Amino acid sequence: MVRRMLQTSLEFLKREFFKYYYENIDRLVPPEPIRNREFGFFLEKGKGMFRHKCFNSLRDFHEFILSEIPLDIYVSAANYEDPGNRDMSEKKLVNAELFFDIDVEPVNAVSDEEAAWICQKCGQYDIGLKERCPSCGSPTELVRLLSEKQLREALGETEKLIHVLIEDLGIAPDNTHVFYSGNRGYHVHINQEDFLNITGEGRREIIDYLLIQGLDEKELLNILRRGVSIENISLKGVKKRVYMRILEKAGSVEKLKASRRETVLKMLEDVVEELKVRIDPVVTIDVHRLMRMPESINSNSGMVKRRIRLEDLSFFKPLEEAIAFGDEEACLKVKIAPKFSLGGRTFGPFKDEEVELPVYAAIYIICKGLGEYAGG
Amino acid sequence: MTSENVLRAARYPFLPEAREFISRNIDLTLESLEKTGSEAALKRAVERVENALIFKEVKVTVLDELNYVREILSFPIAVILVSMTMNEYVRRMYALGESRGAYRRMLNESDETLLYIGEKMGVEGVLDDESMIRVKIPTYLKLAYSFHAPHWKLVNRAVINGYVLMGRNEYARLVQVEINNYVYEKTLEPVPMGAAPDSFRRAVGKIVEVWSKLEAAKPSHISLRERGDTPPCIDRIIKKMENGENASHFERLVVATFMIARNRSIDEIIEFFSKQPDYKYSVTKYQVEHLAGLRGGGKKYSVPSCRTMLTNGLCYPDEYCKGIKHPLRYGEENAANKPRVS
Repeated sequence: MVRRMLQTSLEFLKREFFKYYYENIDRLVPPEPIRNREFGFFLEKGKGMFRHKCFNSLRDFHEFILSEIPLDIYVSAANYEDPGNRDMSEKKLVNAELFFDIDVEPVNAVSDEEAAWICQKCGQYDIGLKERCPSCGSPTELVRLLSEKQLREALGETEKLIHVLIEDLGIAPDNTHVFYSGNRGYHVHINQEDFLNITGEGRREIIDYLLIQGLDEKELLNILRRGVSIENISLKGVKKRVYMRILEKAGSVEKLKASRRETVLKMLEDVVEELKVRIDPVVTIDVHRLMRMPESINSNSGMVKRRIRLEDLSFFKPLEEAIAFGDEEACLKVKIAPKFSLGGRTFGPFKDEEVELPVYAAIYIICKGLGEYAGG
Repeated sequence: MTSENVLRAARYPFLPEAREFISRNIDLTLESLEKTGSEAALKRAVERVENALIFKEVKVTVLDELNYVREILSFPIAVILVSMTMNEYVRRMYALGESRGAYRRMLNESDETLLYIGEKMGVEGVLDDESMIRVKIPTYLKLAYSFHAPHWKLVNRAVINGYVLMGRNEYARLVQVEINNYVYEKTLEPVPMGAAPDSFRRAVGKIVEVWSKLEAAKPSHISLRERGDTPPCIDRIIKKMENGENASHFERLVVATFMIARNRSIDEIIEFFSKQPDYKYSVTKYQVEHLAGLRGGGKKYSVPSCRTMLTNGLCYPDEYCKGIKHPLRYGEENAANKPRVS
């Protein structure tokens, strides 16, 4: 959802969004079959989602986008008999793609320069990492810009996810679609025929498998304590990975056997923490979820939800490859912005100043609610 | 059909080949069923249902198998009789009885036959080099979720390349679930009462009589521990909240729905939530009333199931949790030993 902004900023945004959609409309292809999908949009700032929308053809969908220039575009992971019905149960679910969301972990390790704070109580703000306002003592709101490091961690989790999906769950690489969300994470859509009809209960089992929840520790602990060597274990799947990692940490089977029960248990906990895939369970369990439309603009950042080819995954640079707008200069009045990188360049920090920025960076700052448009 | 196949059809009369046998050899309409010398089949059909109700298992002896026409025919008749009782308990117990009997017989079959039955029931399994049976994950998930022992959870399974690996017994258990589902669904098909011959109606009367006797003899339900007990998962959240620790939205929902289920008043619940650091009277009141079904659509929210608690990382079971699927059933006697109707 778009933060509050001035009318001039919004008009600037809409103008640039239109340019993007006009030039890239062919990239916006919703999953088939279009007529069975529900669509949702944020059309104006501060207003609720316009949803239960459906289209008969790709052409209708494209016409709608170019005439309305939505700020955000969503499409259902589910196929419905009657996607336009406002009553969820009357939509009549046919099936739904599996959908995973991995977000960056909350901000911790950013340097003083890369952070800014705003006090909602007394209105003060500045560059730096302050949890309490120096003048009134109230808790501050920390400004979170996208950090390359955090996004890299999330990408690592995404690679872990893809590995488990392909190796263990048998998802074909061709049915695995990976996207940078355009803001703080990654999305993975699975449209494999035999996984479309998995019920809520089944989806929960898949989530538990990925998060390594409900693991029968007793059994694993017994095997570990007996010190079975790799060649002799019949373990497969996640248990095998857990076992191998513990063995690796212990150094050898003998050392593992000699370890105290508590030590092994602690190792087990640590390894589970290390190996689990940090997906957001709520997203995957919900078959009625609307997913951000691939190749559409994310109005939380002004970047694009970008498709990533599996073979390019480990080299993907979100802050360079998901840029939607050009680099002509725009003038921006910035309230506060810590140092940030975008499009291969570094900007800021800024405080109470008018600056010339490339359009993509200007839109980023506006979308983050840190500045307003001041002319082109 | 070879004699071997006919015997198999008699042993597993829900297989498609049993239906084929009937359609090829017998005129299976309600009117003709009575005439087809099927008094014996009708008798056997009643026996099937009684077996299911009394022993929770339909037994098939070698003699029954040899009498294959009667045996094969008795199954669809039993289904009709059960459907005519229009009694949900009888339906479920019959499906369970048929599937349990089949399970027991499947254990004695060769790998080949076991896999054949599974395939015909839509539970395809492949025997691998290590004599393990591989079942596709979506098929596995569809059937195994009805089991609650930890070793059935996907996370505890040998999983490789889209398949779950298992031994013969476990595979037979999965096939049993599908047989259960199949038989149960068959009994839901309505039978036009008027069209049923008198002999069928008398048979239904007999079945209902057996059922009533069993119902009357059931001991009334007693809980091992006092009903007001709080399961460890919820106790943990309550303690945390009493200490003023911030609970997540989901944790609050769990506690609120639990307190509502235990008939605590809205005021009592709000009072409890007042210890939360971000407590606001109006917000809490609105949300608790919403959960209690006093607002909005009037939908009363139930306490999340054990499975949901587990998925959210909130399950901390103790010995009294054994066999329960829902926090409100905590401490109930014999929850673990109850017949599982799946």
